[in-house]
Amino acid sequence: MNKLTLMAIFVTFNLMISGCLSSKIDQDDAENPSEYEWEDDGELVIVTYDVYGLTDEMLTQFETETGYEITLLKLDDAGSILDHLLQHKGLQVADLAIGLDNTYLQTAIDNNVLWEHFAELENISESVLEPYNGPLAAPFDHGYICLNYDSEIVDGENYTVPESLWDLTEDEWKGKIAIPSPETSSPGRAFMTATTDYFSNDQDNETEWTDWWSEMSSNEVIITTGWSEAYETRYTGGYGEWTDGYVGDAHIVLSYCHSPGVESWYNGNWTKSVALDIPGSSFHQVEYAAAIQGGNLDAASSFIEYLLSSEVNSKMPVENSMYSVLEGSDLPEENGYKFHSVVPQDPASISSTAIAENMETWLKQWNSAMVDG
Amino acid sequence: MNIKFSNVCAFLAYTLLVILPLWLAVDRLVWVAGFDPSAWISSLENNYISQGVIEFTFYQALISTIVTMAIGLPIAWQLGRYKWPLQSVVKAILTVPFVMPSIVAAMGFLYIVGKAGLDIRVDESTWFATLIIAHAWFNMALIIRFCEPVLSTLDPKLEEQMRLLPAGNTKYGRFRNLWLPLLAPSIAAAACMTFVFSFTSFALVRWITLGDNTLESVMAGVGSSAGIEGYMISRNEIVLGSSMIQFTILLISLFLMSWLQQKRQNLLPQASEVIVKKRNPKGWAIIGIGVLFSLSPLIAVLLASFRIRNTDSSGTNYSWDTSGWEFAFTSSNSISSAWEALFNSLGYAAITLIIAVPLGWILAQTIIDVEKSRPRLARTLDVLTMLPFAISSVMIGLGVMLGMIRIDAEFFYSFWPTPALAHIMITTPFVVRIMLPALRSIEPAYDECAKTLGITKWRRFTEIKLPLLKGSILVATIFTLAMSLGEFGASWVVTRNSDWTTLPVMIDSLRSIPYKNSLTAPAACAVSSVLMGITLILFTWAEKFRSARDGGMF
Amino acid sequence: MLICKDLTKSFDKELFSNFNLELKPGEIVAITGPSGCGKTTLLRCICGLEDLDSGDLLLEGRDISTLNAEERGIGLIFQKAVLYPHLNVEGNLRLGNKKGDITNALVEVGMEGFEERRVESLSGGEGQRVSLARALLAKPKVLLLDEPFSSLDEELSRRLVSDVRSILKERKCPAILVTHNKNIAENFADYVISL
Repeated sequence: MNKLTLMAIFVTFNLMISGCLSSKIDQDDAENPSEYEWEDDGELVIVTYDVYGLTDEMLTQFETETGYEITLLKLDDAGSILDHLLQHKGLQVADLAIGLDNTYLQTAIDNNVLWEHFAELENISESVLEPYNGPLAAPFDHGYICLNYDSEIVDGENYTVPESLWDLTEDEWKGKIAIPSPETSSPGRAFMTATTDYFSNDQDNETEWTDWWSEMSSNEVIITTGWSEAYETRYTGGYGEWTDGYVGDAHIVLSYCHSPGVESWYNGNWTKSVALDIPGSSFHQVEYAAAIQGGNLDAASSFIEYLLSSEVNSKMPVENSMYSVLEGSDLPEENGYKFHSVVPQDPASISSTAIAENMETWLKQWNSAMVDG
Repeated sequence: MNIKFSNVCAFLAYTLLVILPLWLAVDRLVWVAGFDPSAWISSLENNYISQGVIEFTFYQALISTIVTMAIGLPIAWQLGRYKWPLQSVVKAILTVPFVMPSIVAAMGFLYIVGKAGLDIRVDESTWFATLIIAHAWFNMALIIRFCEPVLSTLDPKLEEQMRLLPAGNTKYGRFRNLWLPLLAPSIAAAACMTFVFSFTSFALVRWITLGDNTLESVMAGVGSSAGIEGYMISRNEIVLGSSMIQFTILLISLFLMSWLQQKRQNLLPQASEVIVKKRNPKGWAIIGIGVLFSLSPLIAVLLASFRIRNTDSSGTNYSWDTSGWEFAFTSSNSISSAWEALFNSLGYAAITLIIAVPLGWILAQTIIDVEKSRPRLARTLDVLTMLPFAISSVMIGLGVMLGMIRIDAEFFYSFWPTPALAHIMITTPFVVRIMLPALRSIEPAYDECAKTLGITKWRRFTEIKLPLLKGSILVATIFTLAMSLGEFGASWVVTRNSDWTTLPVMIDSLRSIPYKNSLTAPAACAVSSVLMGITLILFTWAEKFRSARDGGMF
Repeated sequence: MLICKDLTKSFDKELFSNFNLELKPGEIVAITGPSGCGKTTLLRCICGLEDLDSGDLLLEGRDISTLNAEERGIGLIFQKAVLYPHLNVEGNLRLGNKKGDITNALVEVGMEGFEERRVESLSGGEGQRVSLARALLAKPKVLLLDEPFSSLDEELSRRLVSDVRSILKERKCPAILVTHNKNIAENFADYVISL
């Protein structure tokens, strides 16, 4: 056997395998529920990220009540969940996705990676159903995204408390604001979406939302990969200062309007962190559980039902640091949880379809604004 | 001589296991992003996520290399030129960082510079410095391994003669005219390797620097959205651009390395260490600092695993107990227990060993078998087996991930050994490199003579070849085990879509969990300590089989 | 005993063609010729380390040309003694015969008490003695010797030549020696042929 034959074998072999694979990717997407076909194998594979609400007790209780065996695939963030769904489209790898929010959901729907679940949902508050009200996803928690500041440092003397987003481009905030990247984090994405709305509604017609981001970029805004890095590692006003790896160079951070409430809940009614309610800059984020195309729809649906039962969902504020989606529910009053949380007066309003349509363009614009800034 | 069936099988297996996944990954990425290398590179500069990453990667690798030389050379000099009590122990301590999993080092350095330690982790300059020091910690073993043998065995007559010549009658003159030229190839080779390792650093960058990325960590970050048709196309370009730059740099370094290795092999007049080495009481300062430097991150990790933070309304205080260990070894739905991670890690290491060592061995044997009759084929095969060296571990992970999605995702996701494939891809080339010189050193006459004594094939293998190769096989074995156990980049990419976990991946996920739970950080350190312990045992064992004169890096 | 008929081998150039030899029991033959004329290759072909282009090899009337080297029962002493570094002298000898009388074999070659010695510590002549002892332990039907005395100094070589000859004669072991040294050939062999 000579060298050429040997090489030829390698090459044809490679071509054979890669050739016969390329065709395998597209499959017919069943869009009509009556065409759905699945097998209830007694297992439930959940794709999620660090959603604290999925506690061990809760998962174990579900397993004992229903007999399903749960496997959790924990990814980095909501964006990775969408990546996972697109990446494994048509392959039966997982059954249920928990943690897509209203900035990601529509993209998942448009790409036909979800199936209609048949969980019966009752008692869900109307405001939560506003971004999406359909059978392809069930909201399980929600909250408002807004900026928080460290009131021990931002006390009105050394630092002025900002009143508009433009204030943040002032020199005194140079390198002092941490925002998770819209490219990799769902709060970051939500906030970017809010800024598109904020600057189209402001008095000033000269400037675009991208100009603000360019200014922020020149003002050395700290863009982090995810929420944890922004809040725990960079922010001086939260519990991050007690953790290893803490840096503490940001006095303003993007988090939730009820994050100070969570701080207070854990610190025994005390916090130095304050939510900054700049009108039009906050975003109502709803997180969803959705059955994955080709997965075990029985298991996914019964888990969605369980997740939305009042017994489980009412614990969201404590277990998951988010609002419950149930009608009439609220944050607990103990330890100042509710007192330190803010419900923004005037959150940005953008429809899910508008988000899905524009997201890729916005991200590109955001990207060039930041690169040029 | 004809190519044997087993040789063809080995290369087919190698193609299937190592080349094919990479081929599939690149094929898929190019299919999504289009073939336009200049667009790939400009995508790196035009995306905020990867802006400046090329400069940063080069810059930090360069600084790391310089600092590593500055720290490593004095230690190598002291160790090589002078006599030390407990010499082999001191040398083992100074070189052990090189085999430590990078994630363990990351935990150790975070703890040293963090609040509980020096408390200097305040801004970008300190975490950049931390990264550099951590790279130096890792790679100083390279300088020691490369330079120390030259220093400790060079015939003293060379220096004595030099003293009497005008060019060498000063310390500087001897340094300039004797030591520098003699050591230059070794120093350059070590520098070359250090540059490569710093260039592709992942775990340390992921945990120590914030905001700044290397090509490797950028690839890891955007890798999850790569290979999806019509979605986030720029991310495919970023991955392709990054790996193209890495491939080029690593390839250049490989060639440079092999050229330097040849220069290093020029025989120098040697003398016994006993004659060469003298006592030097003052050198203890350097050796002492080196030993301390070497051990401190490891001790820090161990200590941190017992230190528990208690935060309540009255503030934060710390206590010492084993609850971090208990937490690590208890299973929950969201985090698997360290037992499971340990079981997986050991399992994957065993599979890697069973496949990579025989495969690498047969590949090396094949190269030698065809060397005489078909030198060009031998060279092609030689390069082919080195190919994975030029591909970073994150890219290898992406190869496995995209490869398995394309071939049969359902099968691979339920096939427990899948992550071992990445480890096989990474370790096989090393096994080839270890076995090649060992096989070359066996004279053909050994086998021929045995034939004329009427010894059967099986007995020739078990009684002659195997014992002669024993040392190299053991080094390859231990090396494969250690690499597989500590492997992070590729495993991280492969396992994050699954519920498998390995020790390094578990350390990472424990650290990634928001710190409301005060046990996650000690638990991460506890798992790191386990990994560190296993590595230490393997390393000590390997030291026994290393021949004193080989001067190799492994 | 051993009949070589029309042995032919070429490798790039012709090394030998139609080589004929008939070796009788207990007979010692020397083949001489300048270096590079194919003497070594001839021995390697006879013992099976290399294949012949054509020709017949008969050992005790049996055609052995298709057998593997280890099945032919022909011993070979290499130009430079091949001793395995992972084994001591005794270990090396055991390769020749697992149950053989090692002590006696060493006495026979004048190496009494060398059992435990490491092979690196042996001199050239000692090495050749050990490899001769080992070859004899394997009880070859014919022993081939490929210039085993050439790397030794004259005095040593002369002694070894006569020692080896008498051992072979004592055992009635037929042997073929190749050498470029006519003196050695004449002292060692019953008769000399040139290639």
